[in-house]
Amino acid sequence: MKKARLILGGTAAILAAAGAAQADSDDPIIIPIHNWSSQIVMSHAVGKILEDVGANVEFVTTDSQAVYESVRLGDVTMELEVWEGAFGASFRAALEKGGLHDVATHAATTREDWWYPLWTKEACPGLPDWKALNDCAAVFATPETGDKGRFLGGPVDWLKHDQERVDALNLNFVVVNAGSAAALWAEIGAAEAEKKPIVLFNWTPNFAEAVWPGEFVEFPAWEDGCDTDAAVGPNPDMTYDCGNPAGGYLKIAAWDGMKEKWPTAYETLTKVSFTNPQIAEMAKLVDVDEMEPEDAAAEWLAANEDVWKPWTE
Amino acid sequence: MTDAAPVISCRNVWKLFGADPHGYLASAGRGQSFEEIRKAGYIAAVRDVSIEVGRGEMLVIMGLSGSGKSTLVRCMSRLIDITGGEVIVDGQDVMALNERELIELRRRKMGMVFQSFGLLPHRTVLDNVAFPLEMRGQDRHDRRERAMEVIKLVGLEGREEYFPRELSGGQQQRVGIARSLAIEPDIWFLDEPFSALDPLIRREMQDEFLRLRGMLGKTIVFITHDFDEALRLADRIAIMKDGAVEQCDTPDRIVLKPATEYVAKFTEDVEKSRVVHAKVLAQPINGHPVDGPAVAADATVLQLARQLVNESREMLPVADKSGRLIGAMNRQEALDILLGSV
Amino acid sequence: MAVTDLTSGQVRRFARPHTAAVLLALAALLALAKPALPEFLTRVPGWAVLPYDVWMQGLFDFIKDDLGLIHVTRTISAGLEWLLDITANLLYGKNRWPYLGPIPWTAVAAVAAVTGYALKGWRMALLAGGTFVWVALVGQWEIAMQTMSVIAVAAPVAALAGLLLGLAAWKFPRFERALMPLLAVFQTLPFFTYLLPAVIFFKVGPTAGCVATVVYAVPPMVLMTALGLKKVSSEVVEAGHMSGSTRWQMLRHVYIPSARTELLVGVNQVIMLSLAMVVLTAFIGMPGLGAKLLSLMNSLKLGRSFEIGVTIVLIAVTLDRCSKAWVVKQPEHFERGTPWWRRNQVLLIGIAAFLGFLIVAQFVQVADHIKRDQDFSIGAEIDGVIRAILSNKAITGITEWLRWFLITWVLIPFRNGLLWLPTASVVLAAAAAGHFVGGRRSALLAGAFFGIVALTGWWDRSIITLYAVISAVVLAALIGLPLGILAARRKKWAEPILLVCDTAQTFPSFVYLIPAIMLFGVNDVSVVFAIFIFATVPLMRYTIEGIRAVPEELLEAADMSGATRRQKLLKVQLPLALPTMAVGFNQAIMFAFFMVIIAAFIGTQDLGQELQKTLAGNQLGKNFVLGMCVALMALSFDHIIMRWSANRRRALGVF
Repeated sequence: MKKARLILGGTAAILAAAGAAQADSDDPIIIPIHNWSSQIVMSHAVGKILEDVGANVEFVTTDSQAVYESVRLGDVTMELEVWEGAFGASFRAALEKGGLHDVATHAATTREDWWYPLWTKEACPGLPDWKALNDCAAVFATPETGDKGRFLGGPVDWLKHDQERVDALNLNFVVVNAGSAAALWAEIGAAEAEKKPIVLFNWTPNFAEAVWPGEFVEFPAWEDGCDTDAAVGPNPDMTYDCGNPAGGYLKIAAWDGMKEKWPTAYETLTKVSFTNPQIAEMAKLVDVDEMEPEDAAAEWLAANEDVWKPWTE
Repeated sequence: MTDAAPVISCRNVWKLFGADPHGYLASAGRGQSFEEIRKAGYIAAVRDVSIEVGRGEMLVIMGLSGSGKSTLVRCMSRLIDITGGEVIVDGQDVMALNERELIELRRRKMGMVFQSFGLLPHRTVLDNVAFPLEMRGQDRHDRRERAMEVIKLVGLEGREEYFPRELSGGQQQRVGIARSLAIEPDIWFLDEPFSALDPLIRREMQDEFLRLRGMLGKTIVFITHDFDEALRLADRIAIMKDGAVEQCDTPDRIVLKPATEYVAKFTEDVEKSRVVHAKVLAQPINGHPVDGPAVAADATVLQLARQLVNESREMLPVADKSGRLIGAMNRQEALDILLGSV
Repeated sequence: MAVTDLTSGQVRRFARPHTAAVLLALAALLALAKPALPEFLTRVPGWAVLPYDVWMQGLFDFIKDDLGLIHVTRTISAGLEWLLDITANLLYGKNRWPYLGPIPWTAVAAVAAVTGYALKGWRMALLAGGTFVWVALVGQWEIAMQTMSVIAVAAPVAALAGLLLGLAAWKFPRFERALMPLLAVFQTLPFFTYLLPAVIFFKVGPTAGCVATVVYAVPPMVLMTALGLKKVSSEVVEAGHMSGSTRWQMLRHVYIPSARTELLVGVNQVIMLSLAMVVLTAFIGMPGLGAKLLSLMNSLKLGRSFEIGVTIVLIAVTLDRCSKAWVVKQPEHFERGTPWWRRNQVLLIGIAAFLGFLIVAQFVQVADHIKRDQDFSIGAEIDGVIRAILSNKAITGITEWLRWFLITWVLIPFRNGLLWLPTASVVLAAAAAGHFVGGRRSALLAGAFFGIVALTGWWDRSIITLYAVISAVVLAALIGLPLGILAARRKKWAEPILLVCDTAQTFPSFVYLIPAIMLFGVNDVSVVFAIFIFATVPLMRYTIEGIRAVPEELLEAADMSGATRRQKLLKVQLPLALPTMAVGFNQAIMFAFFMVIIAAFIGTQDLGQELQKTLAGNQLGKNFVLGMCVALMALSFDHIIMRWSANRRRALGVF
């Protein structure tokens, strides 16, 4: 034990003497990556920034919901994109259990709501107003929805309360849930060829904006309590009679042990903050320009030194 | 040959297959017939068999399929545990041996040849033959040398690097024979060794076998379903049916005096003159002077045919190899055998 | 022998349908009398649905935390991680001990080619070497090696574990009796049910993926090991005993080498299942081809996903053919006195090629790794082609019509019909089918299995799962059987069709989910279509094999009796091929149950969707209950069809 401490102390002394970072552990910082581009690029970009301040970095691919459990246990060190809408619940649950904490909040805000690609406007000119959408519900009809319009929702486990909104606002729509984000894109891709009108769930920041220009449907604006208090919002008898909040947070979460193990890297991480255009740019490098994530991260860092250099100082 | 202590002796050996064979045998007693046992839900593979094999003797166990002959030979080597009775090999009760002792017995004293050869497909001829030596831990150089000797003995020189599937059936059985001889066993079991072979090859292998047998002088238990083969090779034949031995005797005597109707069915079509030897027909002289040249005791009646027909004497003296007179043969009796009127 | 069997079979066939028919009639009666039925016969009432998921969760938590299983599994995962780090370092240069990798792609490809040559000559060398060259050239080397690094650990571990379990099953019949039903359940559990416990007990990332893969791949190895050891000829065993082998010597020198063929067939299956699973473990964050595929699909890059699909097929075909070649490869002898370098010629060439390329790679960058701008990926071009096809007016016209027709007239009515049926009626019908083939025991089994599903409270979702499975399999039968029969009658067609089957089976299933959605939209047609592609393969394969296996002699007999081709088919070939075709049918259903869970990716309202949810929420108990629902339904089908096939074979006297 004593010996081990001596060696450790010795190593630390040498490191300090060499003028390297103070006492960051040599163990790799583990950054999780998921299955959407902006997160992958951002993770690689932050990874390179942390390497810049002397850390060892490694990436693991993980599930985007299960990752909070792993951060809590220290299996992975941080999560760079905590979306309020999509992962708020998992994040809060993990916070309560303890083991991870909220390090920083990106300047970027997120929005998740009913959305349509621009060509839809030709068939339904009153958009983005939700009442206009409701009036031309018939143009969104499909065999399985009969004469009602079809709204393509995200996977049910995203818990978006679309059905409740349809009921509360008396919309002429049937909610059909896709099983994955990929299924959503496939539907847009298929509709694109013939410029068929389609309305579906989407969010920002997201690569889809760059590929298919579009707009969110403007529902009655979100007010606090709209989801819990029936009185709030235009329909006095029902909840969810409003759109989703337009400015959700995008946070960074880290394992509690990180601060002690890699203080320098942690210090840098607290300063990290990206904006919507920056994130969209990163996603575009991969999704539109067909670059590999690592190259995209390098390219973005090279082009935006003024943004991230200050974080390392 | 049979005077000295027997090498193998089976005493009232039983082998039953079924749910609780020991319990059944204890309760039902030993007088049950095959059918009665079958009705009780058991198969009697070996039923109260008592048999002895003397040193250097060759016993052929003959029977049709399902007669229990293969089971009996496996009882002798304890590949199968018997249900009742005793098997004594070289003075040891094999059922009393523990695993270690049994393995030791097989490693030192027993060799066995199988109907479908039982060769290990992933080993070359050489490695197959050396297998028993390897099992008992002989070093590599020694065992290869010994294996080469036996391979030469069975006439497979030049094929030692082949794999079994690259050989013909006859050649494969030569490998099986070589393997069984590798440890220089005292006791040699052969379970229908030539049954899987073509008739021509079978004949050739039988001759080969007789050559080896003459050379090695081992105690042999040979299983066959072919009565002609049994007659050709055996010192004594045990004929089995439904797990029991119907008759156990020399070929001559089985042919001349079948003990049961079942045995008689086999002997019916046999050309007896080929089988019966002069020595068997020799009667004690009892003072009657017999003159003239003697016939050889080891000659078959067929071999003596010309002499028998041309002879005028009523009684012919019979002499063994050393020329000693062992008795006299009745010419008429021999002629009856020759002409098939017995 | 065969005659007595036939007659006793006949007797039974008269006795059984009688009870079976009564049961079926009862089921029909219940359905007809639905409006008058008491509530509890239509659906299991809420109070009778016990919180199994909570109990299971409690049980798992107890085992995990209180019994401390998690410490055990985490220790195992540390060991596995060590192994995985070694292969990861060697294959793609992960920064871990032994710090030697990555091995240059040219060296790996060369070794693959030499291995292929050693196993089956030039064509195999070309396939094996070519596969790795392709992987490198399209720029997927690193991700492919991530996948290979896990297979390189998972397949041997699974083979070894299977071997040991198989040995135990062979040695101890009681253990075998306990193990076999468990294996049957394992083989029918949806893969999501493997994934979640793997993550919880074995940490995210490659370790969990590796564990899930091992568990998924073990069953066939166990079965083949037990089978192979039992099949060792008794004479070989006796020869071993007579040579004075000890128990260990028997196992080492006699049993295992003699069971070589079966063991290697087991290894082949382990490899193939590992590959299938390792792609799916992308769902729990396994890096590699599967993960890349998922992220490409999430940005709708059809072309690049297609390229990855091709890579996976190539790797699968290479591994499959090589391991099969290994199965049939027999040792060849060398003449005495052959020098050692001649005996080991191929090995030496392999080593030389490996070292050669290793050295070349030090000086030539392209031989070491292919940079991004050097690869030949034509993803964007393929993308264009696929999109053009998918938006072709003629095709969309047809698919649009199909979508309308199937949804309105076939699928929805069928689904509603099934959902309308009272639970009791479905359970009885299952029991009737069981009774028809296997008497009381099978009836109880099938009835009980469906009964348990009803009691879990997931009845409606189970029925929707069942509906998708049945629809797809019926569709597959309508198309696959005629194609199979046609292919079997013309030798020239059989080969290419079997090749297509092979490819379709190994092509990662989610690659065609996206085109399915683009053609049919997010709805049940896409789901059924995706399952259909998967389920048609075994149907065709077994039909072809069944018909081809009809003895030539019988066909000659039919010809000499003056049968026309049609008569020959209907009266001779099909009846004899039926038991084999039933096995194909069974496998189609098993595949469908597997695929219907993946189809949750498209969007369904069945068990798969719920299972996918549990994955995100870490709900182990619910995950297990849902998995069992799928497994129990699949096992009922499996039992009934396999039983029927076995009866049929016995009646025909063929085995």
